[in-house]
Formats: sequence, C-alpha cells, structure tokens
Amino acid sequence: MSENQQTVQRNLWENPWGYVESFFIGFGLLVTGFFLEVFVKTNNTFTISYPYNVFFLVGYVVALIMLYKWFSTTQIIRWLTKVPASISSIVLVTLLVMIMGIIPQIPSENNIITNLGLNHITTNWAFLLIIFQFLTCLGLVTIKRISQLKWSNFGFILNHLGLFLALIAGILGTGDLQRLSINVYEGKPSWIATDAQKNEIELPFAFYLKDFLINEYNPKLALVDNKSGSIAHNNGKNLYLVEKGETYFFKNFEVTVNEFFPNSGRIGDRYEKVNEIGSPPSASITVKNIENDSIINSWISSGSFRYPYESLKISEDYSIVMTIPEVKKFSSDIDILTKEGERISTVLEVNKPFKFRGWKIYQLSYDDKMGKWSNLSVLELVKDPWLPFIYIGIFMMIAGAFYMFWMGNKITKNQ
Amino acid sequence: MTWIDFPLYSSISISLWILGLLFLLISYKKETVFKFANLLFIAGWVVLILFVIKLWIELDRPPMRTLGETRLWYATFLPLIGFLTYIRWKYKWFLAYSIAMAGMFLAINYMNPETYSKTLMPALQSPWFIPHVLVYLFSYAVLAASSIVAVKGWYDSYKGKFNIETLKLADNLVYIGFAFLTLGLLFGALWAKEAWGHYWTWDPKEVWAFLTWMGYLIYIHYRHFHIHKTQQALTILALAFVVLLVCWFGVNYLPVANTSVHTYTQY
Repeated sequence: MSENQQTVQRNLWENPWGYVESFFIGFGLLVTGFFLEVFVKTNNTFTISYPYNVFFLVGYVVALIMLYKWFSTTQIIRWLTKVPASISSIVLVTLLVMIMGIIPQIPSENNIITNLGLNHITTNWAFLLIIFQFLTCLGLVTIKRISQLKWSNFGFILNHLGLFLALIAGILGTGDLQRLSINVYEGKPSWIATDAQKNEIELPFAFYLKDFLINEYNPKLALVDNKSGSIAHNNGKNLYLVEKGETYFFKNFEVTVNEFFPNSGRIGDRYEKVNEIGSPPSASITVKNIENDSIINSWISSGSFRYPYESLKISEDYSIVMTIPEVKKFSSDIDILTKEGERISTVLEVNKPFKFRGWKIYQLSYDDKMGKWSNLSVLELVKDPWLPFIYIGIFMMIAGAFYMFWMGNKITKNQ
Repeated sequence: MTWIDFPLYSSISISLWILGLLFLLISYKKETVFKFANLLFIAGWVVLILFVIKLWIELDRPPMRTLGETRLWYATFLPLIGFLTYIRWKYKWFLAYSIAMAGMFLAINYMNPETYSKTLMPALQSPWFIPHVLVYLFSYAVLAASSIVAVKGWYDSYKGKFNIETLKLADNLVYIGFAFLTLGLLFGALWAKEAWGHYWTWDPKEVWAFLTWMGYLIYIHYRHFHIHKTQQALTILALAFVVLLVCWFGVNYLPVANTSVHTYTQY
C-alpha cells in the first residue's frame, strides 16, 4: 500500500529486499535442490513419521512464532513477511508444479529428467525447499495478522491459516499414511493385506465376504467399420443402450431390438434365457437398410469370458456389435471378524467407505475378467491420523471462500 | 419415471424465465421494469421448487440418482446462486446468465435426453458430483468473463483511454470466481477421499486445477499490493486464463493425460 508512482533508485541487497532479491533467493533454493538431486543419490524418499513429524511441527511453529516475536526487525524476517517473498514463492511453486503437469511422473529414460528428478517432483529436494520457503512465508504472515487481533483480518486468517494447516498436515502426514489392499474371496475369511511395496501385513481383524454383487447397465449397440474395426458412429460416443422394443438409426440402417436377455445361452439358432456362470447378454435385432429396404433378422451377443461374441455383418462395410455391459454399481456384503469374537456386518460400495477402528475401508476392485461372476473383491484400507487437521484446514478455506465471495476486493470497495 | 408432470411444470418455469429475461433486457433502458423481471424469475423458480418437492415425495427418496435428476438440481440451484450474486454485487448480466443456464438444463430434460449416454461409472455416482461440477462450471464462467474484461483493458490502454473501472470489474469477477474455484477444488478433495481413499493424488487434472488456482492467487496478491501497475495485472490475468484453459481442455493432449482419472471427455 505504501507504493508510490515514483521509483526510488536502490542497489541490490539494499534494504528492503524486493522482487529481484526474492527471485534470486528462490532460484538459489531451486539450484541447491537440483544440486542435491543430482549428487546426493538416495533411494528412500524423504518422509518422517510419528513421533518425529509431531516434534517437527511443534518445533517449526514455535520457531516461527519466536522468529516473528523477537527477530522481526532483521532483514530476512522482514523480507519473509512482505509481498515480494510471497509472490516469488507462489510463482516458483507454480513453476515446479507445472513441470509435474507436463512431464509424466513415472520412470523415464531421459537422463536429464532422471538426474534432476523431474519425474518425482513431490519428493524432489528443489520442491521441498521451495515449499518450505512458501510455508515459512505463509506461517509468518499468518502469525503477523493473528497477533494484530483485528476483526478485519478474519477472512485473511481463515484462508491463510487454513492453507497452512492443510498443507503442513498433508506433507507431514505422508509418513503416517497407511494404504493397504486386501483380496477377499467369497466364503473365506482373509486377514493378510499388502502395502504398496507388496509387503504382507497381518490385520488385527479379518474380512469374510458373504456376497459380491455387480449391477450392470444394459450393453450398448455400436456400428463398426469392418476394415478398421473401430466404431463408425457418433465419433464413438453416446452409443445406444439395448432396450427391448426400441428403434435406433445408424447411418442408413434402422435397427430394432425385438428381444433382450441379460443372461442367455445359444440354443440352436437362437438364444434363450439361462442362468449359469458366464452366460452373456444377447439381443434379437432387425436391421432394415433404408436405401434398398432389405431386412436382416439375427441374434447378437457381447460374449463373456466363457462364450465368444456374435456380431452381425449388415453390409460390405459395416457390422452391428453389442458392447460389453458397463458396470453400474459393485458392492461387497462383508462381515468383519475381530479377535474378541465380534462380528460386524456391512455393505461396501464405491463412494461409500466404512469406518472401523481408525481405518477407512473402501471397495476398490474385483476380478474384471470374470465381471459379474467374480468371487473376488479387492478392498482398500486407509489410515491417515492427520486427516482431522487437513479437514480443519479445508473447512477453514471453505469458510474463507464464502467470506471472500461476500466481501470481495477491499481496494475496489473502498474507492 | 414419475416425471409425468414435468413438461407442464418446466414449460411454466421456462416461459416465466424467458419473459423475465426480456424484462431484464428492457431494464437496461428503463430501470423500473427490473422488478418485474425479478418477480418472474422468482415465480418460475417457485414453480420449479414445487415440482422438486412433489417429485421427492413421490419417489420417497432424494431425487439425486439419475443424470436427469442431477440436471434438475442444477436448474434449481443456479437461480439461487444468481440471486445471491445479484443481491451482493448487482450484476444483472450474471443473474441473466444463471437463469438462462437453469432454463437450458430444464430444456435438456424436457427434450428427453434418453438417446444420450446414461451410463455413469460407479466412482462418479456420489452426492459430491453435483456441487463439485456445478461450482466449477460457475467459476470457469466467471473467470472467463474476467479475462474478457482483461482483453478489453488491454485494448483500451493500447488506445490510450484505459479506465481503472475496467480493472475493478475484473477484480470483482476474479474474487467471485476464485471463491468458487476454491470451493470446487476443496469439494473435489473431499469427494476423492470418499471415492479413492485419498484427498489429493496429484492426478494431472488435479495438478492443473491447482495451477489455475495458483495463477489467480498470484493475480490477487499482485493486485492487492501494486494497485497502480495495471498493465502487469492485466498480463497476469490473461496468463492465468491460459492455465485455466489448459486445465479445462488442454490436459487431454498433454503427455501426462493417460494417467488421469478425469479424462471423461474421451469416452
């Protein structure tokens, strides 16, 4: 706010530090970080876990408060609580995240990418150093505003403290985050889970899968080019769901669905309803060529892991095929068995995890080759003790966003 | 479907809204007409709410399951956001915009979208789906408007008749848009925790959404402390919109695309 139109002649590193110095320091951190990446080769990523992350957090916050209280007149602390430092660190974080948004974060054969660690930005030293500066700026300005004890800072504190909390809890919490997956088969208790490194971990409770259920949408109809084998209709989008009695148009063909069976088997020259493992959906269709009024009647089927698919060739160029049905919903009816002899029944579904003894249990996957006949359900167990802090941060920012919407820009309003 | 009366209710709502939009247009010339526009908007909205209540009672469950029902909720909430924004910021065009969008969603439902893809993968079937997408749609619309203002500002200063009011309008739009952008991002995080077990996985779309957020964050901080450097502010605003466009459309064409869960447009 103290900025004037006139420019003041000033030397580099002269008080107070501005944008040039800020970016100088920022790039210094970047270079240091990449230097560490190239010359300090470690295989294990930098994570700290309980209780050291708690020590770190407490120490860091206490240090920030002390720095603000007793050293706020020093050059570096004054710089860190001013705008050029904030903006330069936001810009540099943006720059590094942009690298992550362009270069796939997977093992690479490119030497530059591998040596500088550009394919693992989140654990890159350069990123960690820049984030550290970013958090220090954020922490100091938050402390500054809080210590002013003014209501007008309310929105500012919600946004800045919220972001600080969510970020630091997210970063420090990585070391304590546990993600396990477990294969559960119908009719068998399972208690051995595996972590991301494929280590086996014994759980203090067991899962018993009573039933695994899949609901499917009806299959869809597609017009396929005989030569290329690709879908030749609507750019491959918005295919029609097979629905008994419906008529659809594909180019100059009129296709009517006479009959549809979700589970069926071929018997002679037709399909009949059957109910056995691997019985595919099928439909009887009538295809009328509008140009020459010729009519074909036939059965088509999408096939399954046990039976081949059947399509219908309707001209030299095109065939009508039935796609594999898409999954609408999948769920596991499970019992959780504890060592104390408890038995807790629940149904797990995507988007509906179940909380149990500090774990969140998710429906993750199943045997997709078997589809709806799968008797395997893959569950995921996640334990993240830092989650409450992240949620506090997130909800502070949500409140801050409402505040921001309502109050708008101070400058604009006052004038 | 218990949507039997939908054509009746929706055509009443849409007619009232179209009439209201006409009045709103006239009100730019003759201010007194504006209250009629408002009355018509509210009347149409009440009719729509009555239908939602009726549907809810008949279905005996919250009507939030199918895509058509999702659109019904868009149509119900859009006018509310439009009214709130108007009460606070007095942007008539924004009210018109949200009413028109709501009308469009009703029209899509009215014209029976059954020929279109009805399948929705399990992870998308969540109560977070609507707020997450709705809030993002709004935020993008408002931020797009802010960059149109930025282009106007550029043109004006090129002509040598830059008016600071232009930038103030851009500021207000960015603040509103940024608030919604933050909400969209955070709702997405809360949803991801429920669906995939973690709130943030650096998915390419997430990365670019974060970058968009950071871009506007730079603008806000820059504007706050350098009130007089208008040219630079306009440039930052234009660049931030480029990042937003990459996030919206561009991600699918980047080398990182095939690792994303957000590439829904390819199917």
